[in-house]
Amino acid sequence: MDAVVRLSFYCFAAGSFAFAASAICYLAYAIGRIRVRRMALATPDGTTVVAHDARLEPGSQGVGRFGTFLAWFGVVLQALSIGLRTVAAGHVPLSNMYEFSSMFIFLAGLIYLLFERWYGVRQLGAIVLPLIVAMAAYVWVLPANLREVNPLIPALQNPPLMTAHVGIAILAYATFAVAFAAAVLYLVASHWRVSWLPSADLLDDLGFRAVTVGFPAMSLVLILGSVWAYRAWGTYWQWDPKETAALFTWLIYGVYLHTRSLRGWRGNRSAIILLIAFGAVIFTYFGNYVFGGLHAYGGV
Amino acid sequence: MAQASLNQPVARRALPEIVVDRIWRFFCSVRAAVVEIAILALLVLIGTLRGSSVPQGIADALPITAPLVERWYAWDVYRSIPFAAILTILSIAIAICTINRAPGIWTAIQHPTVTTTHGFLRNAEVSSRFNSASPPDAFAAELSAAIRARGYRTMTQERNGEIHLYADRWRFSRLATFPFHLALIMILAGGIVGVAWGFRENALIVPEASVRELGHGTGLSVRLNDFSEIYREDGSPLVYRSDVTLLKNGEPVHRGSMTVNNPMTFGDIVFYQSGFGQAVSMKIADDAGRVYYDDSLPLGLYQSKLNPDAPAGRIDLPPAGVALSVVAPDENPANAPELDTLNLKPGELFFMIRPLGPDSPIEMPVGATISQGDSVNLGNLTLTFERERRFSVFQVARNPGIPIFFAAAILLVGGLAITFYFPHRRVRGIVSATAEGSVAHLAPIARRDWSARRVFEQLARELGKRLQLDPHLTINEGSRPAI
Repeated sequence: MDAVVRLSFYCFAAGSFAFAASAICYLAYAIGRIRVRRMALATPDGTTVVAHDARLEPGSQGVGRFGTFLAWFGVVLQALSIGLRTVAAGHVPLSNMYEFSSMFIFLAGLIYLLFERWYGVRQLGAIVLPLIVAMAAYVWVLPANLREVNPLIPALQNPPLMTAHVGIAILAYATFAVAFAAAVLYLVASHWRVSWLPSADLLDDLGFRAVTVGFPAMSLVLILGSVWAYRAWGTYWQWDPKETAALFTWLIYGVYLHTRSLRGWRGNRSAIILLIAFGAVIFTYFGNYVFGGLHAYGGV
Repeated sequence: MAQASLNQPVARRALPEIVVDRIWRFFCSVRAAVVEIAILALLVLIGTLRGSSVPQGIADALPITAPLVERWYAWDVYRSIPFAAILTILSIAIAICTINRAPGIWTAIQHPTVTTTHGFLRNAEVSSRFNSASPPDAFAAELSAAIRARGYRTMTQERNGEIHLYADRWRFSRLATFPFHLALIMILAGGIVGVAWGFRENALIVPEASVRELGHGTGLSVRLNDFSEIYREDGSPLVYRSDVTLLKNGEPVHRGSMTVNNPMTFGDIVFYQSGFGQAVSMKIADDAGRVYYDDSLPLGLYQSKLNPDAPAGRIDLPPAGVALSVVAPDENPANAPELDTLNLKPGELFFMIRPLGPDSPIEMPVGATISQGDSVNLGNLTLTFERERRFSVFQVARNPGIPIFFAAAILLVGGLAITFYFPHRRVRGIVSATAEGSVAHLAPIARRDWSARRVFEQLARELGKRLQLDPHLTINEGSRPAI
């Protein structure tokens, strides 16, 4: 079984490199090309005035397409890694930060690519893919013992609920990462005239659509967590820091959804709330480092 | 005429009416709701950080904040008045907002405005024009049929020789916001019902072969028949299991077992495996043969100064006039060995009695170390260490709010899913006569809604295909970039 776990890690490693290469392609595509024009004007008194004009132009379509290809390649490798680890563990691997973060990398990549396909927007990859690469780097620096497959402790011995509760949490975080990227590009597109960026309306809609996936998912996370807590601890809500951090995140996205129906709030202010909300996601995600309480399973 | 109307006395509203109106508007305001949710989020954040090492980190980095951090840790946010107040305000806001919005939404669903203006169609971010050789009424009927075939409801109305057309689909999804918001109130209600009509025992400690009363008016007692802990080959825990018998009036009424994640249910009462530990079965009697204690005492719930690291237990025996302490061997001798003043070996226990009350038969504490199966005389008492046992800690709960919670969960997720994935799509249009026949100008109600515009574009193309007409799409902004 050790060989399967090792193979799973190799797939993760290969996937990480694919994502890293993909991120470079996306950044090159999004930043585009810098075209410098030089003009020389001869004046009547015989002198010459030289002017330079630097312009940013859309990146090469080929580089963008290659970035997408590499991202799909990374997603497939990541899926393979998780699949092999599932075989080795006997359940979907979601019981420590290594497994949790590997699943995040897979789902963030997949969801981003689905949104790219749905909206026809590739520039978003310049934000999402570096996030994925940062997460892969984090996984690399986690203690090596987390890469081993360990049996579930009694508190986690409910694989169906663990898969549903934790898996949907990662799905929510992944879609929120896409919403965050859309909000960043929205703020760029609405403040600067960047001709090759998608329209601000499209980015606003994309961010909203990502939240319409993430917010119900986050609601399900809270509900399934409550169901599991009721089954394991006899109460569906314990005010545990990880629970309340998830509730905090949910409330911030609730604020975002309400502001969209407020005149003067849709657009810039909503996008800023999305940035804050993603801060809450990061706080909840890495909260295990500072939280005590009942969710101290992450192995960190 | 204008002068006359200006001079007319303005009907002044009574103060209570103004106050009620303002309160009503406050609770209906989305802007106020945003602020309320933000305040709730802030309180939850404060409570979350209270359960973390972050405040301590702040105090360590900035000693000046230490008093504030101390108050932070001391403040139980979730049981505070501000927290209860904001939850109450939000619940009232949800209820009033629902009452306020429901009639308007119902009217918009059942009796929408059919007519529109050319200005609306002209300024729409996306619109479509169909030219037909048919007269307006025939073309409007043909267009309506084609739109209905796409799952839309259509309505037409003639005005000034033009036919106004309204089409929508998934109109009832506008109602889905109500179950979602109702669910939030139901979750709070479920919590209140659980606290008011249920009970929760956080730590019912039962040693093996002992019986403990559950209380809470249940008339039940719990006997722990056996506790077992099973470990894997690598030493990691596999299962903690308690086999128990429930007794009512001394008679067994239920026997079952429970493990972590697999609670035992009896009627509407649920028993959870919560913890376990070491216990000692012992007997205490005096010289006259009077038995003061014949049961198991849990260890590990008390800390003895003789060895703070070791599991210890304590029990007061007022009829005997003594308090008994029991200390077990250190489970981790490597940790602070200097604190261990007893140096007990495996299988040994240290017993000590102290005077309790003015009529105590002893004046000074006396203690002794004995092994399993041995007895010792302490004062006028004989202590017999019968055997080592285990104890289980159970959480026991009866929560009548659970069905409300589950119903709320379904409403919450269902409401969200319908609101987000089946949004109300609306299209308006005017069919006018032209020299060649008629022209239909259609546009969606989709201001700054890129998805709605895209759905409309798709609809227009499908209508063009079905009617074999060019849809002449006009996109003012928000077009998809090339990829």
